[in-house]
Amino acid sequence: MEMTRSAPDRREFIRQLGGLVVGFTLANAARHSPAAAAEAGDYGPPTDQVDSWIAISEDGHATLYSGCCELGTGSSTGLLQVMAEELDMPFARVRLVLPDTDHTPDQFVSSGSRTISAHSRPIRIAAAEARAVLIDLAAQKLGVPAERLMTGDGAVTLRDSKQRSVTYAELVGGRHFEAKITGRAKPKRPDEYKIVGQSLPRWDVPEKVFASFTYMQDIKVDGMLHARVIRPPAHGASVVAIDESSVAHVPGLVKVVRVQDLVGVVCRREEQAIAAAQALRVQWTSWAGLPDQKNLHATIRNLPEFRQGYPKDAPGGLLVHRGDVESGLSESAKTISATYMTPYHHHGSIGPSCAIADVRDDGVTVWCGTQTPYGTREAVAKFLGLANQKVRLIYAEASGCYGQNGADDVIVDAVVLSRAVGRPVRVQWSRADENGWEAYKAARISECRGGLDSNGKIAAWDARTFGFSGYSRPEYHEPKHGGEPGSLVTAQLAGWTKPGLEEGFSGAAGNFDPVYQDLPNKRVVFTYLGPASHRQGPLRIRVGSMRGVGSPDNIFVAECFMDELAAAAGEDPIAFRLEHSPRPRGLAVLKAAAETAKWQSRASGTAPGSGDIAYGRGVAMLGSDTDTNVAGIYEVAVNRRSGVVRVQRVTIAQDCGLVVNPGAVRNQIEGGVIQSISRALKEEVKFDRSRVTSLDWSSYPIITFSEIPDEIDIVLLDRPDLPPMRVGEPASESVWPGVANAVFDAIGVRIRQLPLTPERVLAALSGKA
Amino acid sequence: MATTKTIRVNGKALGVTVDDAAMPLLYVLRNDAGLHGPRFGCGLGQCGACTVHVNGQPVRSCTRPLSAIGPDDEIVTLEGLGTRDHPHALQTAFIAEQAVQCGYCINGMIMQAAALLKKNPRPSVPEIKAALENNLCRCGTHLRIIRAIRRASGV
Ligand code: FES
Ligand code: FES
Repeated sequence: MEMTRSAPDRREFIRQLGGLVVGFTLANAARHSPAAAAEAGDYGPPTDQVDSWIAISEDGHATLYSGCCELGTGSSTGLLQVMAEELDMPFARVRLVLPDTDHTPDQFVSSGSRTISAHSRPIRIAAAEARAVLIDLAAQKLGVPAERLMTGDGAVTLRDSKQRSVTYAELVGGRHFEAKITGRAKPKRPDEYKIVGQSLPRWDVPEKVFASFTYMQDIKVDGMLHARVIRPPAHGASVVAIDESSVAHVPGLVKVVRVQDLVGVVCRREEQAIAAAQALRVQWTSWAGLPDQKNLHATIRNLPEFRQGYPKDAPGGLLVHRGDVESGLSESAKTISATYMTPYHHHGSIGPSCAIADVRDDGVTVWCGTQTPYGTREAVAKFLGLANQKVRLIYAEASGCYGQNGADDVIVDAVVLSRAVGRPVRVQWSRADENGWEAYKAARISECRGGLDSNGKIAAWDARTFGFSGYSRPEYHEPKHGGEPGSLVTAQLAGWTKPGLEEGFSGAAGNFDPVYQDLPNKRVVFTYLGPASHRQGPLRIRVGSMRGVGSPDNIFVAECFMDELAAAAGEDPIAFRLEHSPRPRGLAVLKAAAETAKWQSRASGTAPGSGDIAYGRGVAMLGSDTDTNVAGIYEVAVNRRSGVVRVQRVTIAQDCGLVVNPGAVRNQIEGGVIQSISRALKEEVKFDRSRVTSLDWSSYPIITFSEIPDEIDIVLLDRPDLPPMRVGEPASESVWPGVANAVFDAIGVRIRQLPLTPERVLAALSGKA
Repeated sequence: MATTKTIRVNGKALGVTVDDAAMPLLYVLRNDAGLHGPRFGCGLGQCGACTVHVNGQPVRSCTRPLSAIGPDDEIVTLEGLGTRDHPHALQTAFIAEQAVQCGYCINGMIMQAAALLKKNPRPSVPEIKAALENNLCRCGTHLRIIRAIRRASGV
């Protein structure tokens, strides 16, 4: 890992690349296709900046300088496939450079499963442009009109005489030229694709299997010291005193550092830092401001609404209001109501967060596993009182994060400690640091009322949810807002008081509106409770984005309540959904899933059998016209004696538009489903009145090999006519309601609170008996 | 007080200078030997990310003190299990099945499975699950990992 301290000059950097360089921006992409720009939204590089590029070198390789982070999902392999396809180049000859603020463009945040859906289009257009330039070069070289030339396998060939061909390497030679997007190059039609649509193996898998991959946690920098942090034993506690004599005996100790309530120890070796962190005696103030966990949801329900941050078009958090809900309910033949609760979740990255910072007088370098390279760089610069250009941020893939884990927070630790010792410092969070101080998936409580008319169709739907932010990164959802350190709990510990950026409402409200068209008399309300962190906010448990950002909670409520209405109508849950006309693509996935799973059509809760094991099946669906559509069917076995729920078989039908890499998509679906089963059945962040207490894997157990389903059947409805859509999240969002609906089918009792633990199942069963 | 010690890692002698004989083997392997295979996940023996072989047995290097390693003990890490040129059957199979998402747990999965296959070259699915029960994967790669181990065992 080489380190350059020179001021970033991308123009110079491009010149040094040599070969053919195609710079592209969203602005150019937009001129070519306004639809592409609209689709990419905020996710392209800033429109006034030409600094994304594809470089073709004289040895015939193409390199993509990507502003997108690879988070262990395989998305970068997909981007390379798109580039190779449009360049007509073998996949073996494409390369990737991951984010580095000296070398790659600002592509904002790599999250929301959007790498392929938002970023592949500009790359496709730029690569097509590069191919057009290569054809022009070949036309000059061969002295023939461009129309008579074609490309393939990294070469330009004369259409009528296949012998005359010239490779890209020959065309580029030792020269350097830059091309811009002209808009005249036409990307391929989907029926011409040879590389896109193939299950190519991911580039990173061999490196990971042979241990030659360098994760963030593996990076070493010359002269680097090791550090650990010491966190307050209560979320609101402050340092009273530090007894440095308690670590005097630790060999290799360089310094004990305290900046307000951010405390760390810096040592020569890693195990020394661990020993010092354990030995350091810190006296803290006492603090016990958390609610009793037993009353968590009641506490949330009673918090005052937070009025700032609502989008203008949804004042008061009202998402949908059609017809007249109250009269719809009062005129219904049958009404039901239900309250649903979900807990806080840990992201549970297997590798806790890690960062290295080298803070010097002439500039700062940070190595980290962020998802927002430029926003986080700005946050670091602000924190240190420096210009952005003084900070270079180099991204390295870390352990899978599934949202906002501690990857950004640990940077502030490293920066503070490096500044204090004047050397590069590596901070590795412990398991307890990660579990104790990351940004959890927020807990939720939601209330529903519904009515059926005399034909058993939905006559009224009234749903209200009370929730926190789904998004509290150092970068707000629009690049122009830039990065703010206040979003990071470590900056808060170090005394940074200016609040962070808070998307709050819209991040978590997302798809609380159910997927069915034209429900009459419908009201859907998201009551936003404001930003929450360990150090500030209405409930001092920190929240942030986690796989789906509020959507899993929304869909849990909507699809469980749909099931409850189906059961109240005495109808089969799939037939009931079909009657309420999901949109066409939703209809297609629902039918495909039902067929593949050999769905047993009957009203739920009437599953036959009375032995120790009760079997049931449940369904859930989600999607929209412009997004991925998923239907999931879950088959469960519930042990009536032990209360243990096991998901035996899962069927997922998914339409995510054009599928760039079916193998990688299946991998993401399988992974998301298994992780979400774990969250549905087992997971709940625990806390006492002072702090989170689920600080290791025994207090926060996740799914193990004996608990996974036997089979996950996946049907991909390929729609090459549509743009690629989100992959990493949607299928996983069908899990919680699908499993809860299956458990209801098995035991005939509805459980409305996650996780579906044995205790809850037994309590439900005994309540019934 | 600093002492020196020689241990055997992937067939080679490695001299280490340590202040604390109780230090976990993991940090010797990662920081002194510069290996990337064994990974830090919990430091508590709970997840398996740090698994290595000591005399063929799977061991959680995060909780194995250096003092418990003798001069004749053979430590093998993922790097020593196989290479691109001479891959272990499991490494080939994990690639073929694309049994990796973030890959952070994969060191532990392969090392644990390699020890299983040595004892039991054709394990059943329940036997595979039992052997890997204490290895955690957050990405949900479990089904692929099982398929890869089945493939490596020739079933
Ligand atoms: S790091 Fe050793 S078991 Fe988790
Ligand atoms: S592949 Fe990411 S933890 Fe297993």
